Amino acid sequence: MITRPSLRCSVAGPLDDRRCRRLAKVVGLKFAPLSAILVIVFATAVRAENKDAAATKQAVEAKMKYCEVCHGASGQGFQGYYPIPRLAGQQPDYIKNQLEAFDERRRVNPIMFNVAHVLSPAMQTALATNFHEFNPKPFGGGQKDLVAAGQKIFEEGIAKSDVPPCASCHGPQAKGDGQFPRLAGQLPDYVFKKLTNWSKERGQDPAKPDTSAIMEPIAHGLTEPQIKAVAAYLSYLE
Amino acid sequence: MKLNSYRRCRPGGDHSKVNEESIDPSFRRARTGTLIKRPGRRVLQVAGLRLALQLAVLTILFFAAGRADAAVVAKSAVEAKLAYCQDCHGLTGQGYRGFFPIPRLAGQQVEYLENQLRAFVEGRRPNPIMSNVAHVLSPSMITALAEKFRDFNPGPLGGAPKDLIAKGQKIFQEGVPDANVAACAACHGPKALGYEQIPRLAGQLYPYLIKELTNWSKERGQNPAKPDTSFIMAPVAHSLTRPQVEAVAAYLSDLK
Repeated sequence: MITRPSLRCSVAGPLDDRRCRRLAKVVGLKFAPLSAILVIVFATAVRAENKDAAATKQAVEAKMKYCEVCHGASGQGFQGYYPIPRLAGQQPDYIKNQLEAFDERRRVNPIMFNVAHVLSPAMQTALATNFHEFNPKPFGGGQKDLVAAGQKIFEEGIAKSDVPPCASCHGPQAKGDGQFPRLAGQLPDYVFKKLTNWSKERGQDPAKPDTSAIMEPIAHGLTEPQIKAVAAYLSYLE
Repeated sequence: MKLNSYRRCRPGGDHSKVNEESIDPSFRRARTGTLIKRPGRRVLQVAGLRLALQLAVLTILFFAAGRADAAVVAKSAVEAKLAYCQDCHGLTGQGYRGFFPIPRLAGQQVEYLENQLRAFVEGRRPNPIMSNVAHVLSPSMITALAEKFRDFNPGPLGGAPKDLIAKGQKIFQEGVPDANVAACAACHGPKALGYEQIPRLAGQLYPYLIKELTNWSKERGQNPAKPDTSFIMAPVAHSLTRPQVEAVAAYLSDLK
């Protein structure tokens, strides 16, 4: 805490009264801006703490452990009662978009809403960056005899149903790019559920249309066997 | 023939003259002195075959019986063992509030029960009573028992303070995001029925749930050389406060 040096010029000291008062003025003036700066800095710090305190290293680590309870120790996903998706190697932009979508209920999921609701933007960035770095083996589990058919659909699309090749946006190795999510190594049940349920889960706020609309015609154009095949193919991709 | 002519055949007798007597090779002299006809070659062949056959059949049956135990457990053995489990866990596996809270097994996930019984045996989950129970169970018996308990469906034992239930439901469905507690429903399912290795929690005993959650790291995963899936619950158990544990336990103990 900054305290102004108390110069009681009336008290007899080394300086005479006039010099003392001048000194007090100068000292006061010099200290005032410093106090002001410190006050501002502290105030900002306090305000920042409410928004970004969650981004301290400790807080991020604690939050990561919390995510990992469901998403797996290295973000590889988990087949629980629900298929919980792989986050490892995921595009940070995509993760952040989804967290915002959960919070704004554009993407409806009661559990993830509560998760996302308390995350500051800085925390979201930190988590997304951390998960991006993980690289465990893919979950696997897709039906092996469907993998070849799935690869064909992934690489060539289905022209007669107006389904473009997935590779054209998600990349030839399904690693994604920017907002386009990585699909490689994703849980097959999760991929299946998302593609079959697309319009019921994404873009749920008509007042705030989002980029999820891009997948709608594709999700609709694919039949369930085709979705199963693609999901199987993706589940084994590294 | 006098017996003492065969002194050589008695203990301490003189064996130097054993083959002195010559008789027809198709006969032999018994110890008592009687002449016995040796069996003919064909008889020996048949006898040998029959013996071989009997030995073979017995060997096959013996080994088959041993292997069959691994594949099929006798119905009566399962019934008997089930009655033994029911002594403590309740007639329909609903659990029992004895000196120890004995958990509900009714409707439990088969894979979870199998895992826990194995954990008891391997000391990863220390429990003197249950390790003795589990120690003598063959894998097929374990599966048979687990399937029996899965099929029971009694109402929950209940008994928890009712005013905690609403708070417990919130924690179950939403977690405690500020305390980094994941929503239980995310893994255990919206009705706490569990899934494969993830246990059913619906209808579990209130004091048992409290005990497990507050004691998690002292009771589970106790063999550092053999880490098991129990570690997944450690952060959750640590992050929940005691009042939160009691609330969730109250909610779950009331679920059908």
